[in-house]
Amino acid sequence: MDMFLQACVNGLLMGGFYSLMGMGQNIIFGVMKIVNFCHGEMLMVGMYLTFILYTFFGIDPYLAVPIVAVTMFCIGSVIQHTLITPSLGTKSFTNLLFLTVGLGLLLSNGALVIFGSEYRSIRTAYSQTYIQLGPVTMALPRLISFGVLIVVTVALFAFLKYTTIGKQIRAVSQNPTGAEVVGIDVKKIYILTYGLGVALAGTAGALLTQFYTIFPTAGASFGFRALIVVVVGGLGSIPGAFFAGIFLGLLETMSALFISPSYSDLIVFMTFIVILVVRQTMIARRK
Amino acid sequence: MLKVEGLNAGYGSVNILWDISFTLEDGEIVAVLGSNGAGKTTMVRAVTGMLKPSSGSVVFNGEELAKKNSRVILNKGIVQVPEGRQLFTDMTVLENLQMGAFNKETKAHFQENLKKAYEWFPKLEERAKQAAGTLSGGEQQMVAVARAIIGEPRLLILDEPSLGLAPNIVDDILKVASTLARNDGLSVLLVEQDITKALASADRGYVIENGHIALEGTAKELQANEHVKKAYLGI
Repeated sequence: MDMFLQACVNGLLMGGFYSLMGMGQNIIFGVMKIVNFCHGEMLMVGMYLTFILYTFFGIDPYLAVPIVAVTMFCIGSVIQHTLITPSLGTKSFTNLLFLTVGLGLLLSNGALVIFGSEYRSIRTAYSQTYIQLGPVTMALPRLISFGVLIVVTVALFAFLKYTTIGKQIRAVSQNPTGAEVVGIDVKKIYILTYGLGVALAGTAGALLTQFYTIFPTAGASFGFRALIVVVVGGLGSIPGAFFAGIFLGLLETMSALFISPSYSDLIVFMTFIVILVVRQTMIARRK
Repeated sequence: MLKVEGLNAGYGSVNILWDISFTLEDGEIVAVLGSNGAGKTTMVRAVTGMLKPSSGSVVFNGEELAKKNSRVILNKGIVQVPEGRQLFTDMTVLENLQMGAFNKETKAHFQENLKKAYEWFPKLEERAKQAAGTLSGGEQQMVAVARAIIGEPRLLILDEPSLGLAPNIVDDILKVASTLARNDGLSVLLVEQDITKALASADRGYVIENGHIALEGTAKELQANEHVKKAYLGI
């Protein structure tokens, strides 16, 4: 029972990251109908940014979160404006596939050139602090990270629901023609959306640094999981992505506990395939 | 107030509109009539800047607007109720209406314009918190019209308001448009397939066939025209 509770908590703490990644991916997909194949690499860039801020400027990883988020937002906006928006005009999905996959390769290989292939980590004074809550033990950084994830998620929901820009983002994702009719600056929304999605990935990266190793391909597994989250939670649905992320985290730790840790990836991808097949059959039946 | 001259427009290498010219005065309701595929919606898109015309001019209150982008044109006061309504279906009615206030001025006047819109369409106030996609077709059309009114148009373009709606709802919407034209001096461009209804509310009309203006005249003249009777009214 204690093991089960511990696995639940671990799954929840990890699932929060998948949620954040999935929500970023889903905002981008919702607005532009493109899959951002370099989403995981953006998380990796966020990790290295945090690493630089900590190593060279002594900034605590949690204080670095807003700096990383703003920097990633700017990077994302520039990429959208200079690379993605011009390719959107061609309406070719393959173009954007190559573009985002290529960007991902560029980023991970760039990190390899700059930082080398060593595994790096950030150890702060409280990295090894553990909190005992009944039968469950939690590393303090994981707990803080989860708290920040929840705050970011709530802020994101509020932003999309109540602010003018948030409403415009939803409007563009629901009906691009309608958005143009009412005078929403669709290109500006594209820039903000991609910046926001990338900032969310970078934030996830910054929050991971104290208990996850930093290396050039660290983002890959998160990128894949973001795609699973998006597909399971529903393309374009932000709440769907949130719950799918938590579900994925729980699924991983549960399969590690009840089957074997070495099979947890296998279980995750099997479940993904089963969900895809079931959903496809349901859609086919409805037709 | 609106003078369109020699407008040519199309998609890619396919030209759809050929040398379209028409005028519209303050407070006037002008119908643009034609069957499916005649080029009516392409014309609306070209006038509102959603499609760049290949040549021709669109002068609105003395200002050349052809080739300007759609937001500039919207800012000058040309607001459309698009074909198929184009609502944000998962957003509430109120949020949809908020999206209609697109610049500083219309945002500042939002509350009073909202009140006006609710007076025209009291149903929308009851349904304010409901997702627009859950409304009936007629109510959705009301949202689309209200959203346009909140944009403070000087020229309101109604693109196929009758499409798929019950006749009494179409009458309601046309009544709102004519009242606005008579009382506030708003100009209305009514783009319609349903010629009987359109000519009953319009002052003048143009008939588009295959992307050309085939006929023009006052509503009475067009109603009496032999070609219109034969081709569109089935008399």
